[in-house]
Amino acid sequence: MTNGQAAIALEAMRFAWPGKPLLLDIERLVVARGERLFLRGPSGSGKSTLLGLLGGVLTPAAGEIRVLDTKLPNLGASARDRFRGDHVGFVFQMFNLIPYLSVLDNVLLPARFSRRRAERAARHGAPAAEAARLLAALGLGEAALLARNVTELSIGQQQRVAAARALLGAPELLIADEPTSSLDHDARRQFLELLMAECREQGSTLVFVSHDTTLGPLFDRDLSLAELNRAAPAGRAAARAA
Amino acid sequence: MATLSLALRSLWNRRVTALLTVAAIAISVALLLGVQKMRVAAKDSFASTVSGVDLIVGARSGPINLLLYSVFRVGDATANVSWETYQKIARHPDVAWTIPLSLGDSHRGYRVLGTNADYFRHYRYAGKRELTFAAGKPFADLYDAVLGADVARQLGYRLGQQIVIAHGLGAVSFARHDDKPFRIVGILSRTGTPVDRTVHVSLEAITAIHIDWQSGVQALPGQRVSAEEARARDLTPDSITAFMVGMRSKVTTFTMQRAINEYRLEPLLAIIPGVALTQLWELVGVADTALMVVAAFVVLAGLLGMLTAILTSLNERRREMAILRSVGARARHVFSLLVVEAGLLATAGVGLGIVLTYGLMAAVRPLLADRYGIFVQLAGLNVYDLGILGAIIGAALLMGLLPAWRAYRNTLADGLTIRI
Repeated sequence: MTNGQAAIALEAMRFAWPGKPLLLDIERLVVARGERLFLRGPSGSGKSTLLGLLGGVLTPAAGEIRVLDTKLPNLGASARDRFRGDHVGFVFQMFNLIPYLSVLDNVLLPARFSRRRAERAARHGAPAAEAARLLAALGLGEAALLARNVTELSIGQQQRVAAARALLGAPELLIADEPTSSLDHDARRQFLELLMAECREQGSTLVFVSHDTTLGPLFDRDLSLAELNRAAPAGRAAARAA
Repeated sequence: MATLSLALRSLWNRRVTALLTVAAIAISVALLLGVQKMRVAAKDSFASTVSGVDLIVGARSGPINLLLYSVFRVGDATANVSWETYQKIARHPDVAWTIPLSLGDSHRGYRVLGTNADYFRHYRYAGKRELTFAAGKPFADLYDAVLGADVARQLGYRLGQQIVIAHGLGAVSFARHDDKPFRIVGILSRTGTPVDRTVHVSLEAITAIHIDWQSGVQALPGQRVSAEEARARDLTPDSITAFMVGMRSKVTTFTMQRAINEYRLEPLLAIIPGVALTQLWELVGVADTALMVVAAFVVLAGLLGMLTAILTSLNERRREMAILRSVGARARHVFSLLVVEAGLLATAGVGLGIVLTYGLMAAVRPLLADRYGIFVQLAGLNVYDLGILGAIIGAALLMGLLPAWRAYRNTLADGLTIRI
């Protein structure tokens, strides 16, 4: 696999919060374009921090982060923000939505801030039509739902709206941080299948982080952050064994 | 534009707080604007008390004192002007007309002014408005009286009624000219000037009612002169309190003023009403400047209320900011979101304040004109008003920088991790 095809490439990347011990120390992590990666780890293992690094919100203390062949640490803060808006979609554990916007406006948010996402969403018509298509693909097809207040939706519906938003404008990278942990077992499965189907449709790379190891087999690759991270006890053991 | 519509919807989501904030700003703006409008109206009303008069002449005292007793019917003259001197000036070739003023008596607290028909012919107020009669006509007979609008309304007088004039200026007087009652022959239309609070009679009438008085006391019953007997006497006054002068040409006003002020036979003072009014307003104006300062502080309090509301909302909105960041909002978007929010609140407050001001003014306008003779113009906002309103919005935007800066720093610290 050449670098030109990698969605994500981490190289000797280290990160610590100010005044805290080293939290992340990753020798190498490469995710191919279109790959669906499951990254498991208990809470507090630095998962969210890693996603912040991939999203360009945080910058590493040392090492290399390339997302879509762009060296994120080399970009300025504003350029990283723009990069994130243009190329990365996020889904979080819960409370993903802006409470004062309708379902449709929540899904259209990325198009407000990124012209690239707006243009890509408009390839098959208006961005609103694309938003409706994504919602329908995720099982939220009723037209009446679009104008609804997001606070009236169930948690499962809210997560699907968040997924539709992350997918709008076909970002190359989709980062999901425990998006299913507030869903029950059946809804979890259904949500994942819909999300993956849509990622495949759009050709988006998916990085899915969860502590729920039962989901691992559904992905192309199943990685343990603890083993990957040399700053963690398990990572140190793995490094010694290797 | 992304931030403007977001700020609007975010505010709508917090509409109770937002509306209260807007209301607080609106009330403070209405107060400030109201004070400003009233100030202008009062000043205009003040300046328009007398117009078309080139000089006011009285015994030598201070200009403001002369203005007060001759125009505003406040205070007393310290001395009079002799009839000979008045006649001499009145007949001067440069003088077009004069209005003699003889003060000193009252009717139930309202001043009685002895004058002549020229008063109704030449007196002007509020630009070029003439005195007009709501009912009746100018005095013709010796014992005729013409009432100002307030006098007639407050005391409920009608044409044909008889009134008695009291000696001196007290509201309750024991020395009354009750042997020579007056008949009301005219009631003037409202002017919004002290004319409304004046009882007008002829100069001769003033002489007639004092014909048997000496040193403020009426003669003993046997030596009195009856009302009918008085008609037969020579009623030319010895002196008058003051007089107003209209010049044939404005150019000669200053020359005449100097000539009067330097008149050797009698100590006189001639003032130009406009100049003296300005001096007097500078004195009175301190109060309205103080009011303006108070109003400005109320606006500041309103804006501080807004700042408090925005700052307290910041913590509960950290999630909102993090979500916006995750969908590509830059830190400067978050910054501008809050500045725009402050601007929107202030703009809405100013807008509502303008509506409130004009609503209130329309409501109290008849009352002000009626009771206080202040004519408030419902004219649009002038450049000065707009400047004030612009400054308020500007101040709000400046204040918005504080929460914006805090949100900016929060959002950099929080990143995408959403804290509940």
